[in-house]
Amino acid sequence: MSKRFFEIALAFAAAIVFLAPAPAAAQTSSTAALTKEGAKTSTPPRTPDGKPDLTGVYTNASVVPLERPKDLGSKEFFTKEEADAYAAKALAKTEVVAPGTYGDVHYSMAQFGLEKGQSKVAGNIRTSLIVGPEGRVPPLLPAAAARQAARQAANRGHEFDGPENRGLAERCIIWGNEGPPMLPQGYNSNLQIVQGEGYVAIEQEMIHDVRIIPTDGRKHLPADVHQWFGDSVGHWEGNTLVVDTTNFTDKTAFRGSGENLHVVERFTRTDADTVKYEFTVSDPSTWEKSWSGEVLMSKIDGPIFEYACTEGNYGMRNNLSGARADEAKKK
Amino acid sequence: MGIAVLVGAAVPLWAHHSFAAEFDPGKPVKLTGTVTEMEWINPHSWIHIDVKGPDGKVVSWMVEGGSPNALLRRGFTKAALPAGTEIVIEGYQAKDGSNRANGRDITFADGRKLFLGSEKTGAPDEK
Repeated sequence: MSKRFFEIALAFAAAIVFLAPAPAAAQTSSTAALTKEGAKTSTPPRTPDGKPDLTGVYTNASVVPLERPKDLGSKEFFTKEEADAYAAKALAKTEVVAPGTYGDVHYSMAQFGLEKGQSKVAGNIRTSLIVGPEGRVPPLLPAAAARQAARQAANRGHEFDGPENRGLAERCIIWGNEGPPMLPQGYNSNLQIVQGEGYVAIEQEMIHDVRIIPTDGRKHLPADVHQWFGDSVGHWEGNTLVVDTTNFTDKTAFRGSGENLHVVERFTRTDADTVKYEFTVSDPSTWEKSWSGEVLMSKIDGPIFEYACTEGNYGMRNNLSGARADEAKKK
Repeated sequence: MGIAVLVGAAVPLWAHHSFAAEFDPGKPVKLTGTVTEMEWINPHSWIHIDVKGPDGKVVSWMVEGGSPNALLRRGFTKAALPAGTEIVIEGYQAKDGSNRANGRDITFADGRKLFLGSEKTGAPDEK
């Protein structure tokens, strides 16, 4: 791809970001033109009821960070060679930790098949999952920063008092990758999409929750109903599934968000093995402007395995008993 | 746990829970023993071993590992670690002093790494 192409593409992307929130259609065309993978957009197969077929087992594992490293400035894309080198380095990276330190207190990720290099990772020339020249989550509004600080202050010094003081993932309530927006995580970024007439369902292996998304034109739940994953409704725009989610609880606190979080996701199959996943996040009580990102989902062999998080969650008990032991030592 | 700690972390913070809260970096252990059971449970697998001390007394330990779904995906089955297998574990003991440890390094008695010696793992990226 020529340098001239990138200049045009970057200018286009910049224009869209600064006009945000941009019309969803404009965002699609811009990102499709910008990514190597997106450019392969094709006519997808159909389900029996005539809708684009997104079904399959995928991983959204990625070596691309959500936010662009500061030293890359406004560089939104690598060249293919740069991207390959970056991915190789990221996948080869092994943590070197000193014995006797907290960082060493873990199990070998490689032995349990959890190193990123042990699963499929879609090639991507992006320098950050967040699109646009900034490539970063906008700063929190002062009120949102104060809200987040108050949340943290309320738990400070009480982190191990009881299960309720522990994080949502440790309590097996929700896992940060589940979203929406659905983002890659450190390991096991596997998910399955199934479709039926009037519905799309997405199961993420971790931590085994299913998002059931009606596409029958229904409205959102009443505004006073708040849910961990919000309330998702979908519709089809050409070959793209568009999912609109509101009705979040403020306990989800995605990147400091409140209950007014609003997420729009777009799923488009770009070839037999790839679904391009785009998202736009807004919350006027948290950020000055909306922000958008893009993740590639790659087909993998199934099945999705059970992840019955609560059943064997000895870790909760062990963490609390560890804290009690620490307290006894200090007395 | 937010996404912030899942990316760009300096230490392995992508575990389901804080291992640093559970185990004591000041109590390193090296255990040589015989597997009595591997619990294939989520969110973490637990390997149970019997360790014979210098006095001949057998003490049971349990060792925390990764989630089983990734091992299953790589082709390992419930029979991958049969009872009676001799293994060596290096890790750290639980803070509360009980006989639990994290499986920092797990090897067979001959030094081969556990779960890494299979010729065909079934991994998605396998050629």
